[in-house]
Amino acid sequence: MAFLVTASFAQQKKVTGVVTDKKTHSPLAGVTVQSKKQMVTTDTSGRFSITTAVGETLVFSYVGMKALNVPVTASTDNLTLDLEVSESDLTQVVVTGYKSERKVDLTGAVSVVNLSTVKNSTTSSPMLALQGHVPGLYIQTDGSPTGGNGGAPTILIRGVNTLGNTNPLYIIDGVPTTRYENFANLNTSSISSIQVLKDASASSIYGSRASNGVIIVTTKNGATDNKTHIQFNTSITRQTEKPWQEDLLSSYDRGVALWRAAVNDGTDPNNTVNQIYRYDWNGDYSKPALNKVLIAPFVGATNNNAPQPPYDPFVGPYSGTDSLEPAANTNWQDALYKPATVISGDLAISGGSSKSGFLMDFGYYDNSGLIEFTRYRRYNAKINSHTSAFNDKLKFGENLEISRTSQVNSTTDVGGAPTPELSLTLPPTIPLYKTDGTYGGPRGAGYSDRNNPVDMQYLNRFNTRGQLLVIGNAYIDFEIIKSLVFHTSVGFDYSDALAKNAALIGDEGPVRSFNSFGQQQAKDFTITWTNTLSYNLQFGKSRLNLLAGTEAIKNDFSTFGANTTVFALQDQSYLQLSAGVGAQTNNGSASGFRLFSQFGKAFYGYADKYLASFTIRRDGSSRFGTNNPYGVFPAFTLGWRINNEDFFKGINFVSNLKLRAGIGTVGNQEIGNLSSFTILQPNYGTSSPQFPLWLNTGSAYDIYGVNTGSLPSGFVQIQKGNPDLKWESTKETNIGLDFGFLNETITGSFDYFSRKTSDILIQPPVAAALGEGQQQYVNGANVDNKGWEFVLSYNHKSARGFTYAITGSASHWADKVTSLPDNVRPAYPGDANHSIVGHSRFSIFGYETNGIFQSSQEAMDAPTQPGVLDGTLAGAGRLRYVDIAGVDSLGHLTGPDGKIDANDQTWLGTTLPKIEFGINIDVSYRNFDLSIFGSGVTGKTGFDPIKQLNSFVQARSNFGPGTLNAWTPENTGSSTPALSLLNHNGEDRISNYYYVNASYFKLRNVSLGYNFSKNIASKLKMESLRIYVSGQNLFAIKSKDFTAKDPERVNSLALWPVPTSYTIGLNANF
Amino acid sequence: MKYNSIKILLAAVIFFSMGCKKFLDYKPQGALSASDLTTPAAADGLATAAYAGIANDWWDAPITSMWEYSSIRSDDAYKGGGDIGDQQQMDKYEQFYLVNSSNNGAGDFGFPGTWIRAYGAISRINNALRALHNLTDDEFPERTSRIGEMHFLRGHMYFLLKVMFRNIPWFDETLTNDEILQVSNTMSNDELWDKIAGDFQAAIDSLPETQPGQPGRANQLSAKAYLAKVRLYQAYTQDDNYTVVGIDQAKIQEVISLTNDVINSGQYALNSDFAYNFLDGHDNSPESVFAIQYSINDGTTIGGRLSMSTSLNYFAGAPQYGCCAFHVPSQNLVNAFQTDKNGLPNFDHFNDVALKDADLTANGVTMDPRIDHTIGIQGHPFKYDPLIPYDHSWERLAGVYGGFGTMKELQLASCPCFKKLGPFYGTSVNMDVIRYDDVLLMNAEAQIQSTSGNLQTALNEINQIRTRAAASTELLKKTDGTFPSNYKIDIYKPGVNIPVWDKATAFKALQWERRMEFAMESPRFFDLVRWGIAEPTLNAFFAVEKTRHPFLSSAHFTHGTHEYFPIPQEQITFTNGLYKQNPGY
Repeated sequence: MAFLVTASFAQQKKVTGVVTDKKTHSPLAGVTVQSKKQMVTTDTSGRFSITTAVGETLVFSYVGMKALNVPVTASTDNLTLDLEVSESDLTQVVVTGYKSERKVDLTGAVSVVNLSTVKNSTTSSPMLALQGHVPGLYIQTDGSPTGGNGGAPTILIRGVNTLGNTNPLYIIDGVPTTRYENFANLNTSSISSIQVLKDASASSIYGSRASNGVIIVTTKNGATDNKTHIQFNTSITRQTEKPWQEDLLSSYDRGVALWRAAVNDGTDPNNTVNQIYRYDWNGDYSKPALNKVLIAPFVGATNNNAPQPPYDPFVGPYSGTDSLEPAANTNWQDALYKPATVISGDLAISGGSSKSGFLMDFGYYDNSGLIEFTRYRRYNAKINSHTSAFNDKLKFGENLEISRTSQVNSTTDVGGAPTPELSLTLPPTIPLYKTDGTYGGPRGAGYSDRNNPVDMQYLNRFNTRGQLLVIGNAYIDFEIIKSLVFHTSVGFDYSDALAKNAALIGDEGPVRSFNSFGQQQAKDFTITWTNTLSYNLQFGKSRLNLLAGTEAIKNDFSTFGANTTVFALQDQSYLQLSAGVGAQTNNGSASGFRLFSQFGKAFYGYADKYLASFTIRRDGSSRFGTNNPYGVFPAFTLGWRINNEDFFKGINFVSNLKLRAGIGTVGNQEIGNLSSFTILQPNYGTSSPQFPLWLNTGSAYDIYGVNTGSLPSGFVQIQKGNPDLKWESTKETNIGLDFGFLNETITGSFDYFSRKTSDILIQPPVAAALGEGQQQYVNGANVDNKGWEFVLSYNHKSARGFTYAITGSASHWADKVTSLPDNVRPAYPGDANHSIVGHSRFSIFGYETNGIFQSSQEAMDAPTQPGVLDGTLAGAGRLRYVDIAGVDSLGHLTGPDGKIDANDQTWLGTTLPKIEFGINIDVSYRNFDLSIFGSGVTGKTGFDPIKQLNSFVQARSNFGPGTLNAWTPENTGSSTPALSLLNHNGEDRISNYYYVNASYFKLRNVSLGYNFSKNIASKLKMESLRIYVSGQNLFAIKSKDFTAKDPERVNSLALWPVPTSYTIGLNANF
Repeated sequence: MKYNSIKILLAAVIFFSMGCKKFLDYKPQGALSASDLTTPAAADGLATAAYAGIANDWWDAPITSMWEYSSIRSDDAYKGGGDIGDQQQMDKYEQFYLVNSSNNGAGDFGFPGTWIRAYGAISRINNALRALHNLTDDEFPERTSRIGEMHFLRGHMYFLLKVMFRNIPWFDETLTNDEILQVSNTMSNDELWDKIAGDFQAAIDSLPETQPGQPGRANQLSAKAYLAKVRLYQAYTQDDNYTVVGIDQAKIQEVISLTNDVINSGQYALNSDFAYNFLDGHDNSPESVFAIQYSINDGTTIGGRLSMSTSLNYFAGAPQYGCCAFHVPSQNLVNAFQTDKNGLPNFDHFNDVALKDADLTANGVTMDPRIDHTIGIQGHPFKYDPLIPYDHSWERLAGVYGGFGTMKELQLASCPCFKKLGPFYGTSVNMDVIRYDDVLLMNAEAQIQSTSGNLQTALNEINQIRTRAAASTELLKKTDGTFPSNYKIDIYKPGVNIPVWDKATAFKALQWERRMEFAMESPRFFDLVRWGIAEPTLNAFFAVEKTRHPFLSSAHFTHGTHEYFPIPQEQITFTNGLYKQNPGY
């Protein structure tokens, strides 16, 4: 109170001063100076005069400069202030390819990421924090800690050009890597900048590996102010999947749905699932009425003693040794998922002078796992340093990032079903726990061979996947003569992954007959030696930058694994390879690639108006055939900074206007290391990757009939070579406009691009007649990709420290396969009469439905289809498929032919969105800052797995409550087809019944921060202190057709739902 | 300083212009190229891999046991499993509502995968043949034999494809990949049979009569037996509507001559007990003419080259098992084991009454003893173990498929040949492709169908089979030493227990005998199609069986379509429509 009183009676005073640019020390004109009473701007000599009061704060703001707050004291006057260039300014220097350049000089499509978006991210990776923020960068994740259940999320830059691997190339402090984790494991506070090179003209300097786009990450490298800076960030997050949980049937209601299905099929419901459900009903198939569902009070019929007849689960245990368990009403989602706690923290220490600098950064991330017994943990350390000698002519430096991750992921059951799927499909009558406290499971008649998912996670708990990653480089810059710099860098990228696989014996459902433990190690080492020579020249109004370089990349990959069976104990400490007493097997392999490149770059700028850049790269790769190892990738761009033209001088509201245009070619070599070779291998006893537990694919055979022991073995072909294999290349045209109005209050950019990818590398399936190991990589298809990106920001600063910024972005891309060799065509949707050519490669090919037959007569009058009239409803309530076409005797398509068959399939949309959009609102007022971010997609067609779960019943699984509202003769309004256990209409076929509009908008992040005042911070010996709370994935708006609660839970029930999270965090600077 | 600068600059320039061919050289590790496979050992290895190739399967798309494609499509068995939708592709096979191959509903599961695997095996065989052709007998003394073996294996794979799909692309090792892609499936039915027969003839021409110590290899006699099988199928001339329009006497004579060679060789004989054909410890018995060799604990990844094509067929609720109860004997099959007062099949009235547990006892209706080798019946010893009586509680969906259990392809969990792999089970017991009982019955069938055949020989051969069946009861006893069923089986005695042994009677007896002898082993559907009686037999079967098992209420067999599977749609697509789809699909 006293303070307020003092303030309100504070004495008014006039303050004068001068504002200069901190770097150039030249006066700054037009700087806004604000007090409570007044707002003035500086004159041409940087001077100002303003009325204020003691206790107030003066705010100095200027476009492109960091705002400055100056508290007014009694002695405040004759101020001399330096304003510092803010990082997001046009003059920002960014690295775009072996060289840094000013952002204003950029002529390609480059998104410079606003780092505030990743700063307070609680995700496991800075990449996940970028979701929706960068136009043209599309990220699709699941709810697991890494966004891809242990692997990388789907990352696409400007859609998909190739038909194969779509992962972008990462350049981390100059070291190229395709390993997503190298980026994911960086602490966000150590990142200095992230650039996304989207078009060929920007990325072609990276040549053969740039066609999926390039993400350049530069980490911080010390300070220059002779001070030591300490930054500490920490946060704690609570994640829950509850808001996204799907509704499923209870034990009782599941019985009702199964009864209805059996009655519809004309089969006796008491004989359908009679080990679990029996029914008290009127027995009248034409007017069925259900009085009561009787649930078998017990689950399970088996133990190791032969049961004695008569066995009846409705009667119960019949001898003391039988392990029958009471039936339950389990919510398997509640059982499998638990709230997860995510703790993250990092400590960055940096310092230095104009000659030397260093950064040390230590981070910790621990996600306790949304699914029982899963976990993700990471430790990482970063050490960057640099120094110089000989009058700064020689610079030395290194960047090093070491990270160690350890994770236990979601698993599958003994038969291969993923646990997230089981949490939706396992019958609720199965108890989570038996009465003796051990895990319950499906046992006995009426149940499937699926396991209790929680038990499976429990048995999987020792299956850690550990990975050690080291990436970094050491470099020397040598200024040979003025402006001529020779740079050499040796970079390395090392991954050592060790996966432990303990297949333990459980005690419910199908159990393994023996346990086993295996370890699989994969080592991957890439060394990159880069040499460049660069020369900068300035004459008159011209600037010329030249660069030439070479790069040699050597990658070696090896695996080594061993497995032992039969362990006496199932303890983590006992599970060592030598402790098993059963069969022992081992495996190992080696592979690698070499890449040698020469490249050059020339930039010319005239009067900051006209910009031109030319790059070229020649790559040689060991991955290609002996006939075509080399590829050349040129690019040319032009830029015109229109606002610097004389005729623009008077137009004050335009602060920036730049037109960019570029063409370029990039390549792709993301195929197997040995794709050009024909390979035969002595596969003694390998099994199929698809069914590793069951399907031998090896070459050993018991020719002597001895039944056991070592067998004679031979060789099998596993791949057919192609010595003509060559680069896949993408030609791209990009036209862009950058603009800024009203002193950069409104900024934005628009890019249009068109890219044509040709000679796409693909390994098409072949006619089975060719046999085993006959698949080969070929250069085949061509794909066109067109699109645009648009980003618009509005920045507002008002009096009293209220500022806000709104940024909206949208991007669109559409691909079209333009040609496809006949031998490649079968790899894509479609058939002999419906070629994917002319369609997106993500097209869905299937049947159209048109409602439901309301009567048997309707079904009889409709185009014929085997099985549709089966059951007591004789076609009523069945899905009506549209008769589109038939074929004539030559196999050519005709019009509708009165029958539904494979010829009636058509294109149903694409699984990737037409438009992705995001909106970001940042507000700050005094000490508070608020940030709201949401993003979404439109024009996406997706498989709605929950609709399937709500439409179709199976005697062995659970399903959704939608089944209770399915079509019956009494409930004809329903859009859900009549329940059936027979499915003689084949309603599981791909159709637009459940490939529906999957557009959505998600509120991804709301964050509120409070910055403690300098006074309080300094009392705590800090430079600044901020605390914040945030919520992620708060709600979704989605298409009505899409019934899954989480619109990102598309295509598969095996995905983790993306959880809702709440975070509290702290940022401190010392 | 200046001097150093120049040196570095020079070095940089040299580096920039340096060649890099050598740096880019990278050769595959731990692998071979085709040119490495020129040695006898390598060619022999390719031949061994070809043997492995005919056995690399499991139930998703078998190329060994044909239970999914024959047994459940015939009157012998139901699909079984957890419900009608469990592996629904098989329900479509069983009830004949498969719309077409792209609506298989299970990806490559089922016949499309079998097509792929069979041609995969053929490619291994052709690779081996190419390598063998490049050697001489001097370099590799076993070369001729190996060539014969490869022809045998190729004939075996094509035979399997032929009986499933009828119209298949046929080619041999002389074609390049480009040429193979030009081969359509439009070769005439007879020519195709001749091609398959040609492989077996080539095998006969180059194989030794026996392969001592190497029972896994084909020999001349096994090739003769298989060629007889091919000619027997070919002899029933089919028109384009799959109607049998005649018996090719030349082919019939060939069957007689070939099977006579095998029978007269003295190398094979019936086992003393029928049970040995289905039990561990009797692999490569005298009755086994050619078998797929399985092994256990042999250092392979899954713990053995195990027989996995029938691994779905263990009982859901039985001790030590747990899944998945597929391949359930039909009521019709159970009834078919019924014998009349003379111990002969109850040809005309076997299916009048559905035999239940109470009928199948020591005092019940008279039965052929082979029922207790073939079918699990309530309270009867399971798999020759009187301590483990078969129990209904083992059945998985009793209300739909319940009543009985399959047995021949199963092994006891206590068997050293048995391994549990996840929810499935494998055994190392061999799977016979041709047995001596089959050779005898092929000879008998040919004698009956021949215009100049010897019906007496046929009678003797059928009676040999029945005599052995009658003698195969020792292992069927319960713990108290009594038999679980009322066995009564006799040989055919014309004029005594049958009025006359004429051609019609003999053929009826032959058809019945084949069903009893090979019940649940899967030749049944292929036999019915060969004889041209699939449509009447199956629709008559459905008409009665659906009153006992309502899930069959919609089942119906269409003549001219359902005799064969469709050509997998993807294969038609892969060849741009070069392959012609079978009629009706």
